[in-house]
Amino acid sequence: MAVLRPYLYTGGVHKHGLLIELLEDLGGYIIQKVVTGTEVNLIMLIPEKDIPIVKKQSEELLGMMVEAPLTGVEIAVVSPTLASHHLPHSACDIAEYLRHPGANTNMIGLARGMGRRVSLSMDYERRLINEHDIAVFTFGSFSDCIINKKPKLFEGIEIPIVVTGGPDLKTEEVPGADLYVGSIGRTSHRLRKTEEISALDKLNEGVGKIADNIRKQQAKDPLAVLPARVMKEIENQVPEIRTVLSPAPLTLQLNGLRVKLPYDEFHEKIEKLEFDEGVTLSELANISKSKMKNYILIKIKSKSDVGFAI
Amino acid sequence: MDSLEVFDVESAIAPEQEFYRKIIEDNLSSLKLAPAIGRIKVVLRPEDSLFQMAILLRDVGTRVTTADIADMEVKPIASEIIISIKKEQYIPELLGKLWERYGKANISQPDRWTVTISTDNPRAEAAFLKDMMVADPRHRLHENLVDFAIRVTPEGFRVRYHLYKGNQFIFVASEEALKHEWIEEAGAMLEELTKGGKK
Repeated sequence: MAVLRPYLYTGGVHKHGLLIELLEDLGGYIIQKVVTGTEVNLIMLIPEKDIPIVKKQSEELLGMMVEAPLTGVEIAVVSPTLASHHLPHSACDIAEYLRHPGANTNMIGLARGMGRRVSLSMDYERRLINEHDIAVFTFGSFSDCIINKKPKLFEGIEIPIVVTGGPDLKTEEVPGADLYVGSIGRTSHRLRKTEEISALDKLNEGVGKIADNIRKQQAKDPLAVLPARVMKEIENQVPEIRTVLSPAPLTLQLNGLRVKLPYDEFHEKIEKLEFDEGVTLSELANISKSKMKNYILIKIKSKSDVGFAI
Repeated sequence: MDSLEVFDVESAIAPEQEFYRKIIEDNLSSLKLAPAIGRIKVVLRPEDSLFQMAILLRDVGTRVTTADIADMEVKPIASEIIISIKKEQYIPELLGKLWERYGKANISQPDRWTVTISTDNPRAEAAFLKDMMVADPRHRLHENLVDFAIRVTPEGFRVRYHLYKGNQFIFVASEEALKHEWIEEAGAMLEELTKGGKK
């Protein structure tokens, strides 16, 4: 199987179709295409050996190509509540910054996550968070809260947990966290000072490392089919996906994808999705109703579960 | 008293104190409260889930009536009152009050500075309008202060006490039932501010 590398292309709309065609010829995938005015952003997976060819094409189009290590990762940015204390700064700033290297972020505000003694999360919220690849919890400025009180919100979370907060703590000091990033506490202004931006950079770097670790674990027992390939087949076989207005109608995850179509109406179509090899998607993946709205969640089984990979 | 001549934030851990000072500064500026506040002191005790704040306000303007901000002309035959506005900043409040009293259909604004009211009894209405209160900066200040207090308090601290008397404002918030001595401590903070704060 060819190794695919994630890249982000930024350039003009003019003739960008050439790049898409080239990518199709090479066997790469377009994950997301965002057109804003005369600019286009393409998030894509390129076969490793063909990267120079794509780079040459992008240079001809006077565009810019950078590596996007968080492509195909869906991250939950969890704030204690959706009150003005946490939004838009700093939770939105964090979510926005995580999107720069290609991640898809969802913001989740807990119903009763605020406070010290009274904070708690519901079963529904925990299951919603567990649908993602990585959870980023945005906490406040008091080390006492972060160390002693808030970690109870991590109970029942099975995915890697990243915590942001104001004080400068070590990851080991925050029980249950896989990574702690300081200097991003509660603020009422946009994060744009040097130290704030460098803290956000540190966050991106740390989250990137966690994603890499998950990928490495996966490589030992690979998925039965690449999520990006499922994405392409859905685009070809379920034309209704083109009518969805969400910015990412098909959201890639490290071990599956979220399809933003109503479950009741479309789950059979998705289950019967056919591949050239003669297998259907239901043999390769668990297809369930997502906790997010009425969407469809596909979690791809590993090669050892299915017995083969395509 | 100058604006913000005393601005104290106290907390056991120095960096947290700085974070909080920044939050308070940001909220003061987004609510445009800085000119109204003379002295402010905030004490944070996260281990007790306690937030205390004492504020000494500066003098703010008195209530504003229609006569202060506009000239009025009565046209009995046309059943109209014409208001020529002099101070633009109060137009939204004035229009809001007029709409409430006469209905939007009876009020027209041919240009930025002129408002025309159609009414059956223009003389009596004009006499009433002359003394009608358009805006009360103190009322607006009170609203802003409460909003400010809620914004700067840590979100989980939902048990609150507040006192607003003359130019004094006290706010205590916690997650637990408020203890009497916490409110007394805030009172002592206010007294300290009245004497000029910690030098």
